[in-house]
Amino acid sequence: MHNQAAIVDEHHHHDSDATDVFGFWLYILTDCILFGTLFSTFLVLNYPGSPGPILKNYSNLHDILIETFLLLASNFTFCLASLNLYKDKLCKVQLWLVLTFLFGAGFVFMEVSEFIHMAHEGFRWDVSGQISAFFTLVGTHGLHVSFGLLWILVMIIQLPLLKITAITKRRMTYLGLFWNFLDIVWIFVFTIVYLMGAM
Amino acid sequence: MSHHEVGQSDYGTGQKKLGMYLAGVISCIILTIIAFWAVLSDRFSRQEILIIIFSAAIIQFLVQVICFLRLTTETEQGKTNVMSFIFTGVILLCFVVGSLWIMNNLNYYTLI
Repeated sequence: MHNQAAIVDEHHHHDSDATDVFGFWLYILTDCILFGTLFSTFLVLNYPGSPGPILKNYSNLHDILIETFLLLASNFTFCLASLNLYKDKLCKVQLWLVLTFLFGAGFVFMEVSEFIHMAHEGFRWDVSGQISAFFTLVGTHGLHVSFGLLWILVMIIQLPLLKITAITKRRMTYLGLFWNFLDIVWIFVFTIVYLMGAM
Repeated sequence: MSHHEVGQSDYGTGQKKLGMYLAGVISCIILTIIAFWAVLSDRFSRQEILIIIFSAAIIQFLVQVICFLRLTTETEQGKTNVMSFIFTGVILLCFVVGSLWIMNNLNYYTLI
């Protein structure tokens, strides 16, 4: 009797966990809508022949390629971390998370130095609507990545303290969804903003 | 029953396998290089470049969704995830295409 109650309880716990993760998934999807609005603003303001300086003269596609690979690499190392999480290898999880953090930090560092360089050259957000849209879109993505980095840092500290439990596994699932989502948004950022802008 | 046991803790995100991740990351690298190469080499016309980079982006998007996000329709939870995902896609399509259409039209008529 007692045993059965425990099973029911466990089942209920699992169900509510699944609902929590679904809720986080819905948050990710609403974030997609946020990015969708920023993308459409960017596209509307970037019609051919719009006044003001154009991105092409201020961005370096080789840097963007490196940024893309940094983000992709950090995404892959996070997958390896979550793979080890389900094998209960705490040290390896932490190692891969540290690598994920370093790749992500490299991405943010390159993006911020690129922004500073652009601003010095006169490609500032207050110059034209098109540039405002550019900084809002790419900046919002960069801000998401920065918060993701903070979250990874928290997980690196939290995992040895709490060990690998159902709770930390759930948190890692959230983080994985979030981190992956940022890489997916970046595909469209580099295609629509940088590659289309460079043509 | 082993499948069910793995499914216990993955919240409808599918089984975790290294091979899938490796395939995902390699195809993403190839697609990214194709897109950048198409723009950087002066070999293609504007329209060709647009077709290449957008097909590369869409394929890479699908690869990431399948290999990394692990959206599957195998489990009940997975089905709910996919349904909400498609719903978001429809909403996104409506207002991105809608905004561009309206603004384009506006631009066209104000220029006359």
